[in-house]
Amino acid sequence: MGRIGYVFLYLCLAAVAVFQVFPIFWLILFSLKDNYEIFAGNPFALPEAVKWENYLSVFQGGIGTYFWNSIWTTIVSTMLTVLIASMATFVITRMRWKLSKLVLSLFLIGLMIPMHSALIPLFKMFMEAGLIDNPISIIITYTAYNLPITMMILLGFYSTIPREIEEAAIVDGSSIHRLFFRIILPISAPVLSTTVIINMIYNWNEFVFVNTFISSDKYKTLTVGMQNFIGQYMTDWGAIGATLVISFLPILIAFLFFSDRIVEGITSSAVKG
Amino acid sequence: MKAKKAIALLFGAVVAVLLLAGCSGSNDEKTSSSGSDSGDTKTVKFMHLWPEGSSKLHHQIVSDIISDFEEENQDIKIEPEVLSNEQYKDKLKVLSASNELPDVGMTWAAGFLEPYVNGNKFAALDDVIEKDLFVSGTVESYAIDNKTYGLPLELNIATVFYNKEIFNENGLEVPETYEEMQNVIQTLSDNGVAPIALGNKDRWTGSLWYMYFADRIGGSDVLTNAINRTGSFEDPSLVKAAEEVQGLVDMNAFVKGFNGLSDQEAKSMFMNKQAAMYLIATWDLPNYTTNEDVPQEFRDSVGYFNFPTVEGKGDMNSFVGGPGVGLFVSEDSEVKEEAKAFAAYFAKQWGEKSVTEAGVIPATKVDAGALDLPELYVDVLSDLNSASNITLFADVQLSPDVAQVHLNAIQALFGGEVTPEGFAKEHEDALTKEE
Amino acid sequence: MMSNKWIITLYLLPAFLLIAVLIFIPLILSGYYGLMNWDGIGIMQFIGFENYIQALQDMKFWSSALHSFLLAAFSTLSLIVYLAVALILASKIKGTNLLRKIYLIPMLLSSVAIAQLWIKVYNPTNGMLNSILMAIGIENPPEWLADPSIVLFAIFIPIIWQYAGFYILIYYAALKNIPDTVIEAAKIDGATPLQIALKIKLPLIMNVFKVTIVLAVVGSLKYFDLIYVMTGGGPNGASEVMASYMYKLAFSSNDFGYGSAIGFLLLIITLIVTVIIRKVTATKEEIEY
Repeated sequence: MGRIGYVFLYLCLAAVAVFQVFPIFWLILFSLKDNYEIFAGNPFALPEAVKWENYLSVFQGGIGTYFWNSIWTTIVSTMLTVLIASMATFVITRMRWKLSKLVLSLFLIGLMIPMHSALIPLFKMFMEAGLIDNPISIIITYTAYNLPITMMILLGFYSTIPREIEEAAIVDGSSIHRLFFRIILPISAPVLSTTVIINMIYNWNEFVFVNTFISSDKYKTLTVGMQNFIGQYMTDWGAIGATLVISFLPILIAFLFFSDRIVEGITSSAVKG
Repeated sequence: MKAKKAIALLFGAVVAVLLLAGCSGSNDEKTSSSGSDSGDTKTVKFMHLWPEGSSKLHHQIVSDIISDFEEENQDIKIEPEVLSNEQYKDKLKVLSASNELPDVGMTWAAGFLEPYVNGNKFAALDDVIEKDLFVSGTVESYAIDNKTYGLPLELNIATVFYNKEIFNENGLEVPETYEEMQNVIQTLSDNGVAPIALGNKDRWTGSLWYMYFADRIGGSDVLTNAINRTGSFEDPSLVKAAEEVQGLVDMNAFVKGFNGLSDQEAKSMFMNKQAAMYLIATWDLPNYTTNEDVPQEFRDSVGYFNFPTVEGKGDMNSFVGGPGVGLFVSEDSEVKEEAKAFAAYFAKQWGEKSVTEAGVIPATKVDAGALDLPELYVDVLSDLNSASNITLFADVQLSPDVAQVHLNAIQALFGGEVTPEGFAKEHEDALTKEE
Repeated sequence: MMSNKWIITLYLLPAFLLIAVLIFIPLILSGYYGLMNWDGIGIMQFIGFENYIQALQDMKFWSSALHSFLLAAFSTLSLIVYLAVALILASKIKGTNLLRKIYLIPMLLSSVAIAQLWIKVYNPTNGMLNSILMAIGIENPPEWLADPSIVLFAIFIPIIWQYAGFYILIYYAALKNIPDTVIEAAKIDGATPLQIALKIKLPLIMNVFKVTIVLAVVGSLKYFDLIYVMTGGGPNGASEVMASYMYKLAFSSNDFGYGSAIGFLLLIITLIVTVIIRKVTATKEEIEY
């Protein structure tokens, strides 16, 4: 590629970058406006009078508990999903056994269920188990519903791991546990980071399940806390914007952290493997 | 090394959570049954849809009523759960499908209520209702086969709000006939002002226009009769009403792209003076009177008028509207008596407090003279007193299934995708199928 | 050392239990509700396959299915663009580390935020899009979400945009997974960057690409969020998709039995399409599928 080609490429890349950052900029403006400016004004105009009150009403709405609940349910569900999916994908792709194809297909059917079909059956089951209004219901639901997609992503990668690696390990006398935890997991760090990011985003932004299974304020998450500002006839969009900004920050930080692991993992662990 | 630590941590977490799941699963079963009845105090679960964030004043009144009630009834504890409107409806569905309705909750009238009554989910409340307390007609909307299943809380009528300033600037006066209204629309349109704000993505908003035309052209019971099958949607006056709707659309009476706008967006256009008129129910009154977030100057410029007569026909004192939410008591409640007592107490207290404290027009009778209310409220309340008829919102009157047909057809009618005759036929087909 | 059978069971069990209990039981139950005449409130009445037969004759269902398939087609086509972006981001040119992060940021936003953003983009009078169109002299720009002939495509754009980050991220990770030695070897042989991308990188991430096709198609066929918030399926069904139609039937029209039947059909359709995709994209050396 010539010099001009590179200039052109960078111009395009920069244009897309601006386009992608715009939403964040917009969201911050949104969170500082009132309903009338939000709906009838120019979306990129600066607010006429900066409405810090939006943030104030969010904090008065008891966001602290919601925030903490969002964080811990997201972390626990994400870790569970990624670990359980890795274990399952490992035996399905790396070990030879008769029913592997069938089991895999069954797992992947889980990808196809529309969430609203599952809502009432799940509620009934949790009711029977006494898990309604208990964060466990949320965590296991998130874990289960994200397993198929996580496994799908892992599949593509696991199948590319050279057989020699495990053969070498087995010859060395490693147990299968050792092989999985000490070799396979570390070398798949980039894809694990990818699935962590994806799971995190899903869990962090989910609200239909929480809303249905949880009724106590002490277990509600940020996304449900946001519903607090939706009224029967009127909705406080400014406060919703403020909640969106507040809830965006932790996920952004986590994303930046794991995003670097995608690249890092390879160079450090592949050598060890 | 890092990886090893992380994995150990992960594994620990999994084990801990699974253990926790096992234990608390069994613990909870014990505690969950105590929700309804344990020892001396009885707990009444109460679900409502006025979250603190968006409906601060409503929420405050609810909390006050609950604490007053608990004060007077030391052995009863009220356990509230608050959801937003849409989430409330969804959760109510899930709960009823699982036979887990709260002891007291909120319901809408007529068509919404009917399946719950038929399914034996709501308790009859006739023994606790003080009928004299309520505006006549409101309690009846919650009655099926002479039994009442809901205690009405709100009462709303739809009127046309307009911006006096814009009217003055364009030398316009409040129209009393539809012909005058068409002139108003034409003048505004010629002067480059959007005449009417309408957010028809929500569909019930467009239904209000159709219902008013039906009322003015065919009289106050033509639509109700079509719905209860003593009449028909193919009645010439109802077809005419649909034609008038399309006539308005052809005049460009509504804001651009109304079929893709939500009511909230349309409202904002009206409130930002981007449209001169806005047909909405009286739940919006606080925005034009007491809401401090809205500029005083705008609130002062808003007036309202009743839907005009059409071709000399129609009674301007006949309204589209009706009760909004009401309280139900679950038939399967283990604390039914307590729940009924609470619901009755709530409805009464709500009636006393809601106008002055939240600007809501309650379904209970209000003595406007004795209260210090903004002028617009006084006018609306006196209109309510002299109302000759209130036709319940069509989407509430109809069963949920047909209501969806109606609402979609409304969008198609406004979008010019269906002829007035086709519009009538869609309703007839759906209603016939249901019989 | 435990025998393989035990290890397989042990490693599969958590996933198996979770999926069997929390996904399969509800799935079977929803198929079962589909055999009922049930408003979700009163008594259930068994009516056999009536709901399913009704669905097959229901024009609204088929038009929503068509919309879902169109979305699936667009989503799949857009994968090529994402792959190209990922190839650039994963290349050695300067600044890609920062660009990657910036490009993926919108995927962190919740559907609520994205819906609000695009509602503002599409607003017919104050919206960003129409403001620009009017500024360059187009007098009557489209009413994006109100015009039945364009609403569907108008709403595809935010959906596809919403998922861009997801796929770019997966491709990026896959590309980074390719050992440097392979690429260095090709460079020494004198291959151009384009040749390396097409002849070496692409074949190596083909497995991942196939997986994303399935994900894109399945995700599109059961898509719900933005459509429900932005248009509610309207005007008059012009942007209805299978999942939003199902939701409306079950939760708004109180036709829970019929809604469940539609949900179950959605699953069957998705399943059939997935099997076809796998057959079409399968190659001999694959053992996974």
